[in-house]
Amino acid sequence: MKLLDIALKDMTRHFRSAFGLVMMFVAPLLVTGLIALAFGGLAGDGGFSLPQTRVVVADQDEGGDAGFRAGGLLLDAMNDPDMASYMVVSTAADPAAARQAVELREADVAVIIPPDLSAAVTTHDGSAVVEIVHDPTLTLGPGLVKAVVDGVVDAFNGARIATHVTAAQLAEQGLPGDRVVGQVAMRYAEWVQAQGAERDRGEYAAIAIQPPPGVADDVSLGARIIGTIAVGMVLFFVFFTAASTAESIVREDEEGTLARLFTTPTSRSTILAGKLLAVGLTLIVQTIVLILLARLIFGISWGRPLAVTMVLLGTIVAAAGFGVCVMSFVQNTRQSGPVMGGVLTVSAMLGGLMTTGIPNLPAALTTVTLFTPHGWALHAWKLAMEGAAAGALVAPLLVLLGYGAALFGVGVIRFRRRFA
Amino acid sequence: MSSQAISIRDLHKHFGDIHAVQGISLDVQQGEIFSLLGPNGAGKTTAISILSCLLEPTQGDALVMGHSVTRESAAVRAVIGVVPQDVALYPDLTARENLLFWGKMYGLRGRPLAARVDEVLETIGLTDRQKGRVDTFSGGMKRRVNIGVALLHRPQVIYMDEPTVGIDPQSRRNILDSVKELNRQGMTVLYTTHYMEEAEELSDYIAIMDHGKVIAYGTHPELVRIVGEQDRITLTTSGDYDGLLDRWRRLDGVSRVSTEGEDTVTLLATDGNIILPRVFEEATRAGVRIASVQVQEPNLEAVFLHLTGRALRD
Repeated sequence: MKLLDIALKDMTRHFRSAFGLVMMFVAPLLVTGLIALAFGGLAGDGGFSLPQTRVVVADQDEGGDAGFRAGGLLLDAMNDPDMASYMVVSTAADPAAARQAVELREADVAVIIPPDLSAAVTTHDGSAVVEIVHDPTLTLGPGLVKAVVDGVVDAFNGARIATHVTAAQLAEQGLPGDRVVGQVAMRYAEWVQAQGAERDRGEYAAIAIQPPPGVADDVSLGARIIGTIAVGMVLFFVFFTAASTAESIVREDEEGTLARLFTTPTSRSTILAGKLLAVGLTLIVQTIVLILLARLIFGISWGRPLAVTMVLLGTIVAAAGFGVCVMSFVQNTRQSGPVMGGVLTVSAMLGGLMTTGIPNLPAALTTVTLFTPHGWALHAWKLAMEGAAAGALVAPLLVLLGYGAALFGVGVIRFRRRFA
Repeated sequence: MSSQAISIRDLHKHFGDIHAVQGISLDVQQGEIFSLLGPNGAGKTTAISILSCLLEPTQGDALVMGHSVTRESAAVRAVIGVVPQDVALYPDLTARENLLFWGKMYGLRGRPLAARVDEVLETIGLTDRQKGRVDTFSGGMKRRVNIGVALLHRPQVIYMDEPTVGIDPQSRRNILDSVKELNRQGMTVLYTTHYMEEAEELSDYIAIMDHGKVIAYGTHPELVRIVGEQDRITLTTSGDYDGLLDRWRRLDGVSRVSTEGEDTVTLLATDGNIILPRVFEEATRAGVRIASVQVQEPNLEAVFLHLTGRALRD
């Protein structure tokens, strides 16, 4: 009972500290939010918003047989109503005018359609170049325009390959192919159109993209990206809180209350255990609140309930052990600030908490992260967020528990020696 | 059962080369107020720490209400209340929250705890401020809560380690009165101080400590008799008094001359009124001007000066 009294007293003190509350709850969410905003802001649906790109098109296409105009189709694709929020398209009289518009920053991207585009598309060995000129300081808008152009050009190439293969096979069998080839081209065009329509309706006949099992399918791409940032921030501040709460042992030593506790009929083991229990309970409250708030504010899906519970347990044990161990090397509260700042920052960097938003880190750096409890906690959370089942989290959980037990043991031994 | 509340036998405590306590032996009877009087660094707090089971003695033992501090520390801790020298409270908790928490540490629970906290708040005069955070309290109020914590479990013996250091005269008066009241209720009080006035006012017995040893031990009248009927003459001088000290030492009736700071000299003399004109004469001959003079009848300060050659506050 005294154990719980000591833990609750420590928690009361910690939760009464404005600094403690800010570092526990406000800072991780604030930093996550700021980083998310810095990377493009949050749209209403939790996705990222892009600035509208001004596109000027110089359509020089002279057309092909039977009134076919590939350039017109390309222009129609860019004028698709679905793209209206991403790009606004205008036309220029000639390539020079289009280029000048970009140079004068009246447009962000110029698309120059060559005169022989339709001819190139309708002959099996023809070629033509669609030129894209853009403001060199821009990346996202030109990339989007290029993707649209590539899509249309790929469709042209697909149709051309289909008709060419059909014509070649008919010729091999000595059959006249002119009329059939035209039908194939028409059927291919209908198929491409049907694919586009299905995509517009959200139906994907050829490829079905689904979220990983266990991840809510209403989680937007933006929320998933923010999730990777948030998990790093949450872990950093959870490890900070562990050390900060464990600091109460050092603080009470300075305040004289620890010595006074030792004069009461309460064993030293109970006193130390009560203070360590406070660290664990504080972390439980902090992590649960952060996970719920991050879900509400950013729409982050943390994974399956059992997986989240396992990772939560591992994180709390590892962080508590880390905090107690770090604080056992600190002699007074004047030391604890620099030690906490230095050790926590370096270990968080080594553990990869500062680089969660960077994909494809070098293998060596990824390996280094696994030498720290932070790195294993991050690894476990990422697995959970990707929808991993409980079985896949057993190994990370055991490693985290092992880290926690080892660090906790070192801290407890040092504290017991100190206050023996 | 023995009537001794505390029995100390040949107690030693060494911190490396530093011998903080060197062979103390004392007995404190139940119901007494017993003071350990001595300057800072005399070993009073170390002795209290050993009696509180905070420190293990290097040698020797002490019994508190019949329990050994080295072998039965849990039993000792159950019968003592400790008022530490520095305020040891949780500044971000209220006075009531502090008392409730410390009461739980002494094994009190539920309604008895709440009722006892109410009583203690009444005793220390902070019922109206019980919901105030301790860090908003004055030094005197903090001291009162600090004492209140030690009273919660109605200890048989209470240790008070310099409880009046750094507080205003009114709060000091309150604390001294509360010590007397606790003693009147039957509590044995072990009180450490470097203020001889407090020791004189409160104590049934006094042990004077210096450099880790008890150099004198007895009631106030018994201790004062050590220096006989000597007065203590304190003189503030202006000018170099070095040559003058030997002249004063040679005067009939002067038993000891000591200096305190750059301009204060203390003499122990059989009769201050008779010796004082000759003291002035010698000062005039030596060309030293005396700025102020104070004559005190025999007291503990004089005892300490007599035994150590130093003033109590050195």
